[in-house]
Amino acid sequence: MNLLQQVVNGIIIGHAYALVAVGWTMLLGAARLVNFGHGQMYMVGAFAAWWFMRMTGLPYPVAVVAAILVGALIGAVMQRLLMRLTLSRDLVSLMIVTLGFGQMLEGAAGLTFGPRPQTLASPFQSMTLHFGAIWFTVQDVILVVAAIVVFLALRLLLNATKFGTAVRMVAEDPALTRLAGIDIARVYMGIFAFEGAAVAFAATLVAPRTPILTSMGFDQVVTTFVVVVLGGIGSVAGSYVAGLSLGLFTALFGALVSPAYTTAAVFALLIAVMALRPGQLAASANFAR
Amino acid sequence: MSARRLLPLAGAIGLAVLGFFLPRLLGGSTMVYDTLVVIAIFSAMSYGLDIVLSDLGEISLAHTAFFATGAYAAAILTARYGQSAWVAMAGAILASLALALVLGLITLRTREFAFSLVTYAAAIVCMNVASNWDFLGGSDGIVGVPPLDLSVGPIALTAGQSFEFWPYAYALLLLTIYFVYRFRRSSLGQAALMVHMNPRLATMCGLDGNRVRLQVFLVSAPISALAGWLYAFQRSYVGTDLFDTYFLVLMLTSVIIAGRGLLLGPLAGTALLMSQKSFASLGAYGDKLVLGAILVAALCYSPRGLAALWPRRRLKVVEASAQASSVRSQHG
Repeated sequence: MNLLQQVVNGIIIGHAYALVAVGWTMLLGAARLVNFGHGQMYMVGAFAAWWFMRMTGLPYPVAVVAAILVGALIGAVMQRLLMRLTLSRDLVSLMIVTLGFGQMLEGAAGLTFGPRPQTLASPFQSMTLHFGAIWFTVQDVILVVAAIVVFLALRLLLNATKFGTAVRMVAEDPALTRLAGIDIARVYMGIFAFEGAAVAFAATLVAPRTPILTSMGFDQVVTTFVVVVLGGIGSVAGSYVAGLSLGLFTALFGALVSPAYTTAAVFALLIAVMALRPGQLAASANFAR
Repeated sequence: MSARRLLPLAGAIGLAVLGFFLPRLLGGSTMVYDTLVVIAIFSAMSYGLDIVLSDLGEISLAHTAFFATGAYAAAILTARYGQSAWVAMAGAILASLALALVLGLITLRTREFAFSLVTYAAAIVCMNVASNWDFLGGSDGIVGVPPLDLSVGPIALTAGQSFEFWPYAYALLLLTIYFVYRFRRSSLGQAALMVHMNPRLATMCGLDGNRVRLQVFLVSAPISALAGWLYAFQRSYVGTDLFDTYFLVLMLTSVIIAGRGLLLGPLAGTALLMSQKSFASLGAYGDKLVLGAILVAALCYSPRGLAALWPRRRLKVVEASAQASSVRSQHG
């Protein structure tokens, strides 16, 4: 067993986790919204790209763009549905609605894409790079670079643009933001669309690694939970670090202990963090940092 | 006993008797019996979640795991170890209590979405363990659960066919509803409501919020587990599909759709949803879509449930009496 190879795998998986979680981090940080439909949005993103390639015959990069648009659209639809509950900050109802929304996406995806596992074919998945005993694919490189770019861009967006300021204001106090003359419905629309687009983008980059199934959203979401919680709820930089650490943890645990119980180990990690630092579960003040 | 208390009691008994003959009134076909049995079992399952959601005000997403625990305990004890259904029942209750205790202690200090996140993650981990651990049948599940046999001494109580199954499912449902009714009038039920509605006042009254939460969680788990216990006999097979989000969304929707806190709410909700699945099914995916859409629509357009759409005096009376009783218990 090559330990260095596992570390490389961990770094790649870690960036995948971080990229999948980034939209939700933003949603949680800015709108205090837990999205239980996140896993299903991931699934739809992957299937949208697959379906687009199959129907139009256009190459993979075009399908990625198409999936991002579909993702943003789903996010926007979700925002329209949730508008009233978001404004009244009825967090309990919001959470349940996102579960129902995920269920709808899964049912609709099953009807549209069928029950069979499919493969999202990326040409970069078969291009491998070897460095001595270590190898990875060009797809992996794209994934890692894309994750870093998205995180840096989000940080820049939040801290150096007018829209970013509005998002941070909404995160602090939506009522006051409205008094300042900002249309908070549009800010929420932006946040939701970003969540949808980001998770769809992540799906198109991550999904070529494994076969895709319309039922895969259910357990996909657990690692995302852990990334968000470990990173300090809603903290952008925290999610990146947490994603990376979790990637290394799962790669090493899967290789050295047992691949079947990785999910259980990740959950145990979550419990350990909660027991040691319960304060982290409170909504973080570190959003956008 | 005054006429004011006797009348609702007579009404409840009348309704219960009528309910028993419902499958015959609806034609008595196997389809009708199957649907009603499943409605009874799934309503009982939903009542477990109901007391956590409506009374404690937290969203537990681990109740599918309790439901599955009950089913797995029944299947393992009867199919593998040849134990009776009664032993399996005790096993289902104990196993679910153990799981609820562990989960309850883990989530003791979490609130709102952290609580929901952790319970959701716990349900996924339980599924993960069930599909990998050979003791729990792995991904194949456990087949060959024998027909239900609750015979005691000379009294033969067995059920194989769906119409023979109905009395047991119906009895479980009635017991569950009665239990929830008693729970809401118990000091624990009142305490749960106060911890939910006004935690600071609860603390001032000397209630330990964490303790109440843990107790309610422990009370709720065996309710869902008993439903799972009966479901294992009805299906004669258990598998990892019991952890499916479908059951979770079904439970949540049935609790919410009619109106949170209404005694017969989860029953009405389950009946509505399962009737659609049995008599107007759109296939597995179509049903998922319908279920999700109903949940989203209910919460976005009438968050307090269908019952709130036609505001009647009776509902106000129920709310007023709930307030009055919480005021009473604050002074008591």
